[in-house]
Amino acid sequence: MTGATNGHLREITRRTALGALGAGIIGATVASWPRLSGTDIPGRGDNSLSIAIMGTAADAAARQRAIDAFTRLHPGIKVKVQAIQAVDWKDFFTKILTMVAAGTPPDVVYVATEGAQLFAEKLAHPLDEYVRRDAADMTEFFDDVHPSLVEAFMYKGSLYQLPMDWNAANMYYNTTAFAQAGLERPADDWTHVDFRNSLAAMRKARTSDFTPYYWTNRLFGGVVPWLYANDTSFLKETRSTGGEWLWDGFYANDPSRSLRSGGYQWLEPNANDDRVFESFDYLRGLVKDGLGVRPEEGGGSSLVGLFASNRIGTTPAGGYWVQGLHEAGMGESDFDVQFFPRWKTQRHQFGTAGYAIMKTAKDKDAAWEWIKFSSSREAMELIFPNPITTPARRSMVNEQLYAGKGPVHWKVFYDTLDRFPTTGPIPAPPQQAAVETALMKNVSLAVSGDERQLKQALASMQRDLELALRRQS
Amino acid sequence: MSTTTPPRERPRQAAGSATHAKAPVPNARHSQRWLTWIFLAPTILGMGLFTLIPIVASVVLAFFRWDIISAPTFVGFDNFSEVVQDPTVRVSFLNTILFVVVAVALQLGLALALAIMVQEKMPAWLRVFFRSAFFFPLILSAASVSIFMRYLFNEQFGVVNWFLSLVGIPAVPWLTTPGGSAAVVILVYVWQNFGFSFLLFIGGLASIPVETYEAASIDGATGWRKHLHVTLPLLSPTTLVASVMAIISALQVFDQPYVLTRGGPGDSTRTAVMVIFESAFQRLEFGQASAIGVLLTLIIMAITAAQFRLSKRFVFYQ
Amino acid sequence: MTTTTDHGLAGHSPRLSEGLPETSPNPRRFSWNFAVRIILLLIAAALTLGPVLWTLSTSLRSPSESFKLPPSFFPWNPDFTSYGEVFQQLNIFLLVLNSALVTGLIAVGQMVSAAMAGYAFAHLKFRGRGVLFSIVLATMMVPVQVTIVPVFMLIRGMGLSDTLLALILPAIPTAFGTFLMRQYFMGLPAELAEAASIDGASPWRTFRSVYAPLAMPGMAIVGILAFNFHWNEFFRPLILTISEQNFTLPLGLVSLQGNLGTGSISVVLAGVVLSMIPALVVFMFGQRALQDGLTAGTGK
Repeated sequence: MTGATNGHLREITRRTALGALGAGIIGATVASWPRLSGTDIPGRGDNSLSIAIMGTAADAAARQRAIDAFTRLHPGIKVKVQAIQAVDWKDFFTKILTMVAAGTPPDVVYVATEGAQLFAEKLAHPLDEYVRRDAADMTEFFDDVHPSLVEAFMYKGSLYQLPMDWNAANMYYNTTAFAQAGLERPADDWTHVDFRNSLAAMRKARTSDFTPYYWTNRLFGGVVPWLYANDTSFLKETRSTGGEWLWDGFYANDPSRSLRSGGYQWLEPNANDDRVFESFDYLRGLVKDGLGVRPEEGGGSSLVGLFASNRIGTTPAGGYWVQGLHEAGMGESDFDVQFFPRWKTQRHQFGTAGYAIMKTAKDKDAAWEWIKFSSSREAMELIFPNPITTPARRSMVNEQLYAGKGPVHWKVFYDTLDRFPTTGPIPAPPQQAAVETALMKNVSLAVSGDERQLKQALASMQRDLELALRRQS
Repeated sequence: MSTTTPPRERPRQAAGSATHAKAPVPNARHSQRWLTWIFLAPTILGMGLFTLIPIVASVVLAFFRWDIISAPTFVGFDNFSEVVQDPTVRVSFLNTILFVVVAVALQLGLALALAIMVQEKMPAWLRVFFRSAFFFPLILSAASVSIFMRYLFNEQFGVVNWFLSLVGIPAVPWLTTPGGSAAVVILVYVWQNFGFSFLLFIGGLASIPVETYEAASIDGATGWRKHLHVTLPLLSPTTLVASVMAIISALQVFDQPYVLTRGGPGDSTRTAVMVIFESAFQRLEFGQASAIGVLLTLIIMAITAAQFRLSKRFVFYQ
Repeated sequence: MTTTTDHGLAGHSPRLSEGLPETSPNPRRFSWNFAVRIILLLIAAALTLGPVLWTLSTSLRSPSESFKLPPSFFPWNPDFTSYGEVFQQLNIFLLVLNSALVTGLIAVGQMVSAAMAGYAFAHLKFRGRGVLFSIVLATMMVPVQVTIVPVFMLIRGMGLSDTLLALILPAIPTAFGTFLMRQYFMGLPAELAEAASIDGASPWRTFRSVYAPLAMPGMAIVGILAFNFHWNEFFRPLILTISEQNFTLPLGLVSLQGNLGTGSISVVLAGVVLSMIPALVVFMFGQRALQDGLTAGTGK
């Protein structure tokens, strides 16, 4: 086949090539050593204040202007924002716990309601002393922020975070789909029966390739808003005492002052409650009659595309959705938003987020300065230039934020809190991961079979929740 | 290879070049002994450090309660008894076994059938096309495959249901019913992995001597009878390797159910390794996670041992 | 002598493209058997490639058209905005660099370590060889989830938390690679070693000059498989890396899905398509070697 000389030459070139390859690999390894060992990551291992947020590099970059403004105010404090990518909050908390386990915890973490009590119980340092100390500065903040949001971050009488942004589960609807079905904008106090009738009208107007009610199976915006509207929840909700220092200090004149407490507590499961059954049965009816989808677990990245392409009539979401719909090409009057339908009450569900100081933080005073600065109007305007979420400050939820993007009734977002002051946070005890799993894994079964299957699913949810709440974390 | 810098030598004749060796080794036996250990060192030391020690540590950890934040406390067999009684853990082990049986049977059956069909007479370019097509899913990441498969299997708007509707089948609730989501996880897994078994079978088929078939066709064996009586027995060593590999990888399935269904609805697609992950990294119960891991490892070892024992009876060596 | 290098293992594994012998007496005649076979194969090929084509074409449509039905499998009017969005949301270059560094070094490390260990298990005699080899194989059965916590603590102890090295080092010892290389070396005649040792070559030289060059195709397979597996690896990076500067591609992609349904399907799929490209390139170059070599390693 191959002549000897030819083979000889080939052998030599091959050896040379291999040698070059080997040298190349060693060279590349040496050259990339800083990358391999992570020493090229700026601020790594130095004593700057490290702040972990959920998001991508782009989200971290978006905070750069806020960081610059902060550095001008406090030249002595070096700040490093670390964006941590995660699919959902549970995933993000897993990452933070991993950092703790790795011995490199951040000093400040941006935590949502889902993890507020997990952090308060195990990882975070209360803000009470700082809020009291800087009461003069804080008054302006609390005046602009609804107390429901603040109460979500109270735990056993102490405050652990200042709300920065939040979202309630309102009802988005597609105006085209509503018009095709001959429907007007629903009334502010529409009921769950009205809602069902609207869905039926849309179903009649468009029989295929369309879903009147689309929802996903998750803690925010899944079954919980329907439970809250029916004045119940899958966990027994109680409040702890305490917190007067905050409420009397900053919200003494608030009309809802008497409702406030030392924080929510979820200690017992409540899935065997009759009204929980009622709410699930309602959703089961929507699924059975083809008015709503069987909810998929997690994810939900198809939602924007489906809604923007007019295949969904209604779906629960909050102010965070506006920018996404705008980018997907929806005009400002193509969609609108209304309060969640009324049942026994019109209590809404919301989630909020803010910075928490870690117990392990080296310089807690510096961490507080960052939190205080971030809560200022100046900083929040730098961080939330677009409606990718709803700012916690009432004054910032304004015409300007939604100009050219819609929805027409953007006032619904903040009115939710003012109109329905009992509106409550996502139920998330310190064992949130286990609790969330116990809820989510039984929802699909509960709403997609017959009544017997629903009862079985709720019974198993009750049992799973009991197990979950018994866990230590 | 690439890390050695040998003295230049004439490379033409490897065995002959030895006569030009500059420093003949006086004690070859002795040098071979330490050389053996040098050869083994990277693999053996690496495995000791990153696999064997962690296994031992995992077994130890199974007797402790530990959440990383506070100090571990010894709890005896508590973790094991809790884990054995936990309905979720039990269901997840059953799921894993069912998954392995169905997925591996499908994977091997499909791979074998396609390999036989591809190896029979056809234009060379067509054969290359088919081989590449069947191998292609293997180069994708299970995570990204699961991401797009989620869209394809959407109940209302998915492409799969659209095709089914063409033949009059009403929309299947793939991802939202226990049966449907189990089917999706299996289908997506098999879709991605059958190519590996396929390759192994192609190789096995290619190593069957042509004369064997000639002899068989003289005896009048044709078509599927030929494959039943000639191909299958001769292929049994390949089948053993392929099935051991397929079973080991199926027992550890994580990415597909994690991205596709998160284990739901209910616990219908929760696998054993998912439960380990959830209990360790979402609930910080490292002791319990280790206990589940130890049980799973024991089961895997039992299955593999049984497989090799069985293979002694059924595998035909040339 | 040198010609054996070119053959590699061809000696005992006939060229694959030859296929099985056709038993039908007259291959010229139209055969139903042939037609049915090709149709079945075409269906199978459509089922394997269809989802990928759909992904590609959907990534090239605007988000509002992403759920178009009937589905379209070819991007007639490509719209690249989703790709731009991926580059905006993710530092794709860094992700690719990380993935390349991690998979490249793991592949090289596995090739070298597996070749050395495989050779020792195949051709060097030492006490406990069988037992040791069984232990190596047995480690394949232990799911990575079982050992990840101790590995994590070990990595912390070595001061390598949240670095790429934490992904690379534990992945270098390879049971499957060692197995493949042992099979490969066993396929090479032992007489080569005998001849070499009669000539006075040391075992090291025998390995370096005689066996290793012949085992190049086998090492290539180990390298390609390692590349393929670790390029797509999800679980270990999920646990062992924290900073996004240390993320590999699959992790970056999954996070594109967005929290609370704010992500766009076209953007997600554009990311998926981008991540396929490097693996595709390696596949195109390595496919032949992989097919030939795997068969030789395990087919006997």
